Amino acid sequence: MQLKINKLLKQNETYIFLIILALSFLIQIRSGQFYTSNNIVDIMSAMIVPGLFAIGEFLVILSGGIDVSFPALASLTAYATTKMFLDMGYEGSVFLPLIVAVLIGVVLGAINGFFVGYLNLPAMIVTLGTSSVFKGFMQGTLESKQLAVIPTGMKDFGTVAVYTATNAQSGLSSRLPIAFLLFVAVILIAFFVLKYTMFGRGIYAIGGNESAAYNAGFRVKWTKFLLYVFAGIVASIAGIIRVCMMQQCHPTNMLGMEMNIIAGVVLGGTAIVGGRGTMTGCILGTLLIVLVENSMILIGVPVVWKNVFVGLLIVVGTIVSAYQSSHSGIGKGHHKKTEEA
Amino acid sequence: MKNMKKFAALFMVTAMVLVGITGCGSNAEESAPAAEGAAPAEGESAAGEDAAPAAEESAPAAGDYEIVVVPKDSSNPWFVRMDTGVKEYAAETGMNVYQKGTDEIDATKQAQLVQDLIAQGVDAICVVPVDPESLEPVLKQAMDAGIVVIAHEGASLENVNYDIEAFSNSGYGAFIMDNLAEAMGEEGVYTTMVADVTNASHNEWADAGVAWQKEHYPNMTLLEEEPRVESHDNGDTAYNVAKELFKKYPDLKGIMGTSSFDAPGVARAIDELGLVDKAYTSGTGMPGDNAALLKSGTVKSLTLWDPAIAGKAMISLAVKVLDGEEIGAPVDLGVEGYEAMTFREGSSTVLEGEGWIVIDADNVDSFGF
Repeated sequence: MQLKINKLLKQNETYIFLIILALSFLIQIRSGQFYTSNNIVDIMSAMIVPGLFAIGEFLVILSGGIDVSFPALASLTAYATTKMFLDMGYEGSVFLPLIVAVLIGVVLGAINGFFVGYLNLPAMIVTLGTSSVFKGFMQGTLESKQLAVIPTGMKDFGTVAVYTATNAQSGLSSRLPIAFLLFVAVILIAFFVLKYTMFGRGIYAIGGNESAAYNAGFRVKWTKFLLYVFAGIVASIAGIIRVCMMQQCHPTNMLGMEMNIIAGVVLGGTAIVGGRGTMTGCILGTLLIVLVENSMILIGVPVVWKNVFVGLLIVVGTIVSAYQSSHSGIGKGHHKKTEEA
Repeated sequence: MKNMKKFAALFMVTAMVLVGITGCGSNAEESAPAAEGAAPAEGESAAGEDAAPAAEESAPAAGDYEIVVVPKDSSNPWFVRMDTGVKEYAAETGMNVYQKGTDEIDATKQAQLVQDLIAQGVDAICVVPVDPESLEPVLKQAMDAGIVVIAHEGASLENVNYDIEAFSNSGYGAFIMDNLAEAMGEEGVYTTMVADVTNASHNEWADAGVAWQKEHYPNMTLLEEEPRVESHDNGDTAYNVAKELFKKYPDLKGIMGTSSFDAPGVARAIDELGLVDKAYTSGTGMPGDNAALLKSGTVKSLTLWDPAIAGKAMISLAVKVLDGEEIGAPVDLGVEGYEAMTFREGSSTVLEGEGWIVIDADNVDSFGF
């Protein structure tokens, strides 16, 4: 028992969880609306898109890389897919658009993967570049415009509820779209891959020490390549879900999300240099960011101070995480964390 | 490995050159056939509205001037619509007028584009500034180079010949408030939404709307705790902010939107929360994007000015200035809502019209955009 508590105290996730808990109490005290069924559902549905982005980013950062191209990648995929099916007059379910989006995601992710994995170019520069290219391709070649209507199958996917929560007191209702199930599925897949496959263990190994991983027999290039492809797929799914949930396609709406997503992943205890971090931490860190972003009015922070508050929370959260990891001893902790996933 | 890198470098250089070539090619195409391309469209669009006579008047100058319209960006439907007007004008007059925008809303990119146009030696630049203050020095360069500068939605600009406003900010704010008040039954708590609290025109509309409400709708009250919220020109943010507001303030009955993303985003929240016919929103919005919302009754009415007509008005004014005509109020630019423009009080550059329109379920399909 004592051992378990000690272990918990050494984990970053515990602290993030405590911050989230404290924040939720603050919101509850200020508005009386946090622990209501409809608010919880609101937060869950607000988590879907940032959460998916965070999973892709988390895996990339874990490998010692970084990806700033995912908003542009998701925008391009979502726009191209929506436009294509709209022009076809498609009326079927969301499956076909999803498959097409995933395929585009594979191609775009492979571009990142080729440059980062096989040519060993710095991930930051490559993804900054591809980000511009994706954006430019969408706006130049595809001449992206806001699409006011989307195929019905996609609209249903983003709006039909698996669960509708109604607050008895205020009469307000919120719905959890079917898309949430896909988010859960991606979490489970990523968790499984990371923990139980050679590919997943390879990501940790490469992030920890690339040449050691190579010497240990990991296929470093292939793993990195595959990783960016996977990140591309996840980002594409997120892009499509965003369009489905908004019931319209606004091509530049997702651009600029990368900073908060990276902040969330790092907040969750993922080492920015790679090799260390957990899925749980990644999801918790993102949850904290989403919570802060969507609760300023509930807390009653004046609109002009909103950015200050969000920024402060990121800094405080990172300090906690850094302080904790410096005390648990990087060298030892590193090895242990690697085993934990 | 080395070879691989060399190959990649070569590949990228080739790609860039190719992109450069095709890019230039499409640019040239874009400006030239724009005039012909728009010609067939003219017949459909109600014979080019009232712009036709004005166009005939300025016809002798046809082809003499190269006038470029620089919007905030090129993909926003608002400016796509403006482009329609610009192309119509080009088709009607045969003049070399065209719209050229950056790929995203970015003040720096816009300034660069204007600089390029100065170097190109165009006759007039009509600009919708992203950030008026930072564009000021570039516009000065243009003026110094003898280029006529006409702005739209940039009343604070100094280095312009004229700035055109579709209406006075106070007039439009009051107009939105009238629409919101009508939907709310002239009673209840409301708040205002702007893209950013630093956005000049949105905040002037909101201020004017609030002032108008205090004068004319005594049974309505402004939500004191959150008198102004931000949507960052993002429909998703507007939606999330509205959800928060309705949760925290159960009395809230209306949200006055200003940016074209506000009211539609709020409407999505109203619909999801089950507040249709209990909470209302009104504000700027494009008809095509909001047809479904208006028809379902989630939103009763939206307000707008037609960017296509604003685009034509800018060019028409630029032509007048280039022709050396004297500009004295009331200015008739020959397009609807801009027939008797007056100078803003205390200003000799800002011209205001009465170009606002209301969009509701009945007329939403009649705009063609």
